[in-house]
Amino acid sequence: MNGYAGKFLEVDLTKGICSSLTIEEAKLKKFIGGSCLAASLYLEKYNIQADPLAPESPLMVMNGPMVGSGFPGTSRFAVAAKSPQTGIWGEAACGGNFGPELKKAGFDGIIITGQSPSPVILSVINGETKISPAGDLWGKDIYEVTDICKAEDKGIKVLAIGPAGENLVKFAAIGNDKAHFIGRTGLGAVMGSKKLKAILARGNQSLGKANEEKYKEIFKAAVKEIKDSAFAESLHLMGSDAAMDLGMMNGDVPIKNWTVGEDYELSSNLSGPTMREKYLTKAHACANCPVACKRVCVVKDGPYETEEGPGPEYETCGTFGTMIMNYDLGAVIKANALCNRYGMDTISAGSTIAMAMELYEKGIIDKKKADNLELTWGNMEAVFALLKKISVREGFGNILAEGSLKAAAQLGEAAMDSVVQVKGLEPPMHDPRGYHGMGLAYMMSNRGACHLQHAAMGMEQGMVSWPQLFDMKDDYEGKTSQGKAMMVFNAENYGILDNSLSICHYLMYCLKPETLRDAFNAITGFDFEFKDFLISGARDWTLKRGINNLLGVTVKDDVLPKKILTPLLEGAGAGSVPDMKLLRDEYYAIRGLTPNGIVSEEKLLELGLPELRDKLYKK
Amino acid sequence: MAAYKAFTQEWLDVWKEKINGSKEYKEIAKDWEGSVTMICNADPSKNVPETVYLFTDYWHGDALEFLVCDEAKVQTGKFIMTGDYARWKQVAKKELDPTKALMQGKLKLKGDLTYVVRNVKTVNKVIDLLTEVQTIWPDDV
Repeated sequence: MNGYAGKFLEVDLTKGICSSLTIEEAKLKKFIGGSCLAASLYLEKYNIQADPLAPESPLMVMNGPMVGSGFPGTSRFAVAAKSPQTGIWGEAACGGNFGPELKKAGFDGIIITGQSPSPVILSVINGETKISPAGDLWGKDIYEVTDICKAEDKGIKVLAIGPAGENLVKFAAIGNDKAHFIGRTGLGAVMGSKKLKAILARGNQSLGKANEEKYKEIFKAAVKEIKDSAFAESLHLMGSDAAMDLGMMNGDVPIKNWTVGEDYELSSNLSGPTMREKYLTKAHACANCPVACKRVCVVKDGPYETEEGPGPEYETCGTFGTMIMNYDLGAVIKANALCNRYGMDTISAGSTIAMAMELYEKGIIDKKKADNLELTWGNMEAVFALLKKISVREGFGNILAEGSLKAAAQLGEAAMDSVVQVKGLEPPMHDPRGYHGMGLAYMMSNRGACHLQHAAMGMEQGMVSWPQLFDMKDDYEGKTSQGKAMMVFNAENYGILDNSLSICHYLMYCLKPETLRDAFNAITGFDFEFKDFLISGARDWTLKRGINNLLGVTVKDDVLPKKILTPLLEGAGAGSVPDMKLLRDEYYAIRGLTPNGIVSEEKLLELGLPELRDKLYKK
Repeated sequence: MAAYKAFTQEWLDVWKEKINGSKEYKEIAKDWEGSVTMICNADPSKNVPETVYLFTDYWHGDALEFLVCDEAKVQTGKFIMTGDYARWKQVAKKELDPTKALMQGKLKLKGDLTYVVRNVKTVNKVIDLLTEVQTIWPDDV
């Protein structure tokens, strides 16, 4: 089958055995790949009630059919598991180069269960698999492990965890070749629970396309669209942090743990142009990407001196900048490098520390509780010390290692007002008080508050215009909840496809939908029309929602935190909060959810999910 | 209030006057240096029979030369923005944010995008002030 390597690798680390799994074409066409196919397999084959860190819970590293094709933006791959941070469906996508290499090594994905008695490395080299001891690597950080794994063959692609994953930090990340991270929902801890320190991939299998001639034509069109795109240009020049200046002006940037609405000194100091002027050494690209949005930075001297390495994304400039009142971009770069080495999600890590700083200011925790650290706003030495403590679960770090929601629960009822999360996951750096649609998207995202399980940001902030897909406006008013339920519904159905096709979210924004559709069809030989794309997206969302329903998610969980429902006093988002009830009621009706937030039987059957219907309605 | 035909010298002069009369603009744009030229593609169906070329120049909070010009002059701009008439009208009426228009490819920019992002408040303020000019649009006549 074109677009697919044709088999998945199953690994049982308890028994130390590897086997291969094939999936029939009809199922692949229905669930496509990536995290959608992972969800389907999870529901079908595994005990979803098991603890996320139990040996029987799978960790799934999944490609989509476009990965390895060479089409722009198709370096992505998804990692999925039950999240140890949230207890519900967890997934994260990553760029870099591991996905294409895994496919060239002969596999569409790897599904890992069990628990090795001692640390191991899994190697997948040209169809051959090997599980090797890795006791000497346990305790090393991600940069060190990656360098060691690449010592003999620089072309090997590496997925690795750091100390945070080993110590089961609930927001532990997995790194791909130092520069790319599977950050969200704590999947590094799942890898750590299996005593799997790293996965290596190397391959040279060539991958055919269903229609090579057509593909070449579409490829050319895609490159031209990207070249003509101001969005792509801004990413190339300024990285994702191009969003900082615009976001501050539009009320998108959270400040001081979501309590302040505007601070132009912060955005000016932390912005993409500043990074370019002061710290950027070069732009870096994922495999086959002409945009090159990744930053490579160095802080040459001063208190935050940091060697040349992967620079921070916009989100990290928020969590380790605006959220904790740090005005120094050099310090953000250092915090980013520490998170990369320890293997921690920068959104959850920074947000959890921001919460701790607010608790410190309020007197809910004191210096003694914080291991003698002065958790005052912007105290970066304390931040660096805390990151280390979190990664090894030492002292106060052991509490914060649980993530903000569980940490606050340990710190007492008074701490709960300082937590900002949905379904246990801290939101990214986009404030729903400036953009109400994002509030609904946070409420309904299946992995908890998220900006990448949908295209709501692109639509509501006017980065994209897709009238050929559905009714939409070119210029949405951010501070209104009217009409946003339909916008988010459409944004989910199209945007979620990123994670099954496995294409970069940014490239989806740069490309015309017809270009993406035609490329998908030329690679796979499928015959998808826009309506098939949107149905696939709806099925993907509904499948994951159904799994979450089975895990106990109901209407009680589709809520925004108190801080986001508290109006700001200044800035573009001042005086405005999302109308949570209106948004949710309208959305439930459109999405086919019962008043209690359960996917209706009719909707499950309509989308071809009878097995999920049987489980959810005990047929 | 007097109304002015879009894309005329008179219209540009009033816009420039609005900009130079704004204390807020002076503060926001204190670091801006350089000209912005605009190309509005011809659209006979909207009573814009020929392409329109406009030159506007700004320096540290002051609006300088504002001219209806020719193609050669437009090409001297530090920033050159191009778009169809319908898009320019939407932007000028604040029905389409200029940044969104750029990102969606409805307007094209030639020039340093980093500088524009850094000074996006200035760009938006200039458009805000244009909306204060009572404008007669070619297709509304």
